[in-house]
Amino acid sequence: MRRPLVDLALALAVLAGATLLFVGAADLPPPRFEPMGSAALPRILGALLTMFATIIGVRAVWRLRTGAGETDEQAAASGAQSARTGDDGESEGTDESDAPAPPPNAVRTLSVLAALVLYVVALDLLGWPFVPVTAAFVLALGTLLTERRVPTLCVFAVYGLGLAVTLHAVFTRFLYVSL
Amino acid sequence: MVLDAFATLFHLESLLFLLGGTALGIVVGAIPGLTASMLIALTLPLTFQMDSVNAVTLLIGEYVGGISGGLITAILLRMPGTPASIVTTFDGYPMAQSGRAERALALGILASVVGGVISWFFLAGMSPALARFALQFGPWEYFALIMMALVMLASLTQGSLVKGLLAAALGMAFALPGIDSSIGQPRLTFGSSALLSGFGLLPVLIGAFAISQILREAAAPLRAVKAPAMPGSRLPIAWSDARTFGPNMLRSSVIGTWIGLLPGIGANIAALVSYTTTRQLSREPEKFGTGHEPGVVAGETANNASVGGALIPLITMGIPGSVTEAILIGALTIHNLQPGPLLFQNAPEVAYGIIAAYLVANVMMLVLMWSAVRYIAMISQLPRAGLLSTILVFCVIGSYAVNNSFVDVWVMIAFGVIGLGLELARVPLGPFVIGFVLSPIAEEQLRASLMMSDGRVIEILQRPYALLFLLLAFLTLLWPVAASWLARRRATPSPTPP
Repeated sequence: MRRPLVDLALALAVLAGATLLFVGAADLPPPRFEPMGSAALPRILGALLTMFATIIGVRAVWRLRTGAGETDEQAAASGAQSARTGDDGESEGTDESDAPAPPPNAVRTLSVLAALVLYVVALDLLGWPFVPVTAAFVLALGTLLTERRVPTLCVFAVYGLGLAVTLHAVFTRFLYVSL
Repeated sequence: MVLDAFATLFHLESLLFLLGGTALGIVVGAIPGLTASMLIALTLPLTFQMDSVNAVTLLIGEYVGGISGGLITAILLRMPGTPASIVTTFDGYPMAQSGRAERALALGILASVVGGVISWFFLAGMSPALARFALQFGPWEYFALIMMALVMLASLTQGSLVKGLLAAALGMAFALPGIDSSIGQPRLTFGSSALLSGFGLLPVLIGAFAISQILREAAAPLRAVKAPAMPGSRLPIAWSDARTFGPNMLRSSVIGTWIGLLPGIGANIAALVSYTTTRQLSREPEKFGTGHEPGVVAGETANNASVGGALIPLITMGIPGSVTEAILIGALTIHNLQPGPLLFQNAPEVAYGIIAAYLVANVMMLVLMWSAVRYIAMISQLPRAGLLSTILVFCVIGSYAVNNSFVDVWVMIAFGVIGLGLELARVPLGPFVIGFVLSPIAEEQLRASLMMSDGRVIEILQRPYALLFLLLAFLTLLWPVAASWLARRRATPSPTPP
């Protein structure tokens, strides 16, 4: 994805957030006990966010028109070292200049996020017990983040169970956290 | 006074409690989601039956260890164990990524202990005078100080200044929902009862840093994980480092102690102000944020020094500077002790014990972390899948444990996604989180100031300290423009003289 498009999406999202601030502030009562009132800061921040989003959006549109996005993309790739751990260019089979700014395997990222959401759904909404759900969650992550060899998955199953039992014991018995 | 302090502490039992507390604090501080204040709150019931000196030494050890332990995961995994270590991620993590994990850890530990020891000198020698000075600060001064810190956020930003400011404003906006404490009415909750208490700091911090980091790590190729270099036979630190970083450590200690003195500001702000000051004074400001050693030193020195600073008003006036100090005051009250000037008369063994315990806890922290630094650095050598799954489970439990509520876990996940999105858009997370932390304090102080001055904003210019902070903020804002103009001027070849 080209950098100006990402910036444009960011600007639109921020503008939507700023609108939310203005709408929320409109419902707040006028100041009674002090000069400022509770609506002042939301309005100030809404105005600031609108200003910053406009600057970013206008710049993005200008770069889209002039075709300056590719240069910025390369800059993004070279500056993205903090976004990935150990994904050096050689191991990916690419050099830094053509590495994309988004994560290399977005499907795995989404899978881990989905696993996390399902884990919390199981604990919160379904009320399933902590130990088996946590063991299953660790095994699921092992499946997603390794090359799915049977011995490795066995290790994850045992590790997940051990971790869940230990954490349950420590947090419920010693730290008074009801898991 | 100092000798009395140590005389009360040097009993085997007290030292063992201090050692245990420091070790426990380091472990808990290193786990994202678990903080020193949480540990102290959980340990407090265990101290009911203990001698008051032992109870206080245990809690002080936990406090020092908890603040220091946060640097471990901040450096190795870019997941600050505590809010005080947010700034450490800026340069510590890039250092670890470039194979200098052990060096970053060693510098962080050294800086932590130096910050702690220097602030101890202030604590032991100048407590009453410093406390009286800090009391001169009113809401205008606090507001101006926070504005200075906020403006300094702009200088933290690598790349786009606008995106740095956007990140800070976004962070401040996310701090708005909840009950408005001034009028007691909901604000920006949109009818949701879950939002009445606002977004908690820990879920936001864990989500923005830890969850977003894990989601990015998950995307990395399965086989291509570049682990930091294995530890060598000697720790990568030399006496020359003391000379190199000496002024930085001294300055950061003074900043940390001073900000620790101010109630409600905290170690994270101390680290931020120290980091930005060091960057402003550096000849290589562009290297900050890319794995620059002075960045790690500044943040870690200041956050530990702030603990010593925060203990000054606690001991001398009974004023808590943060939640942790409030819990410590609670511990003293439980033991029938009233913090304040009378503590030195009524229970000198406890007052001096706190002062001595703070120093000894720093030394113990140094010994414990220094001896373990090689093994700590090996965390990043562990299999990635196992490490990520363990941290994710800890993140969920840590967020849940704040209020025994899954709402905080959902908030954590939401901020993880927001953090991932912001990073993909190259919006820095540091200003985002720090804006979130500073916003409620800034608003509270501004509203109090305006109430006191009948709405006259001009009063801020009539208070010398507030004016000084505003001037510094203004100069900080101007500096990037001036530096850019100077650089252009230097780059332009001067005309040859006839």
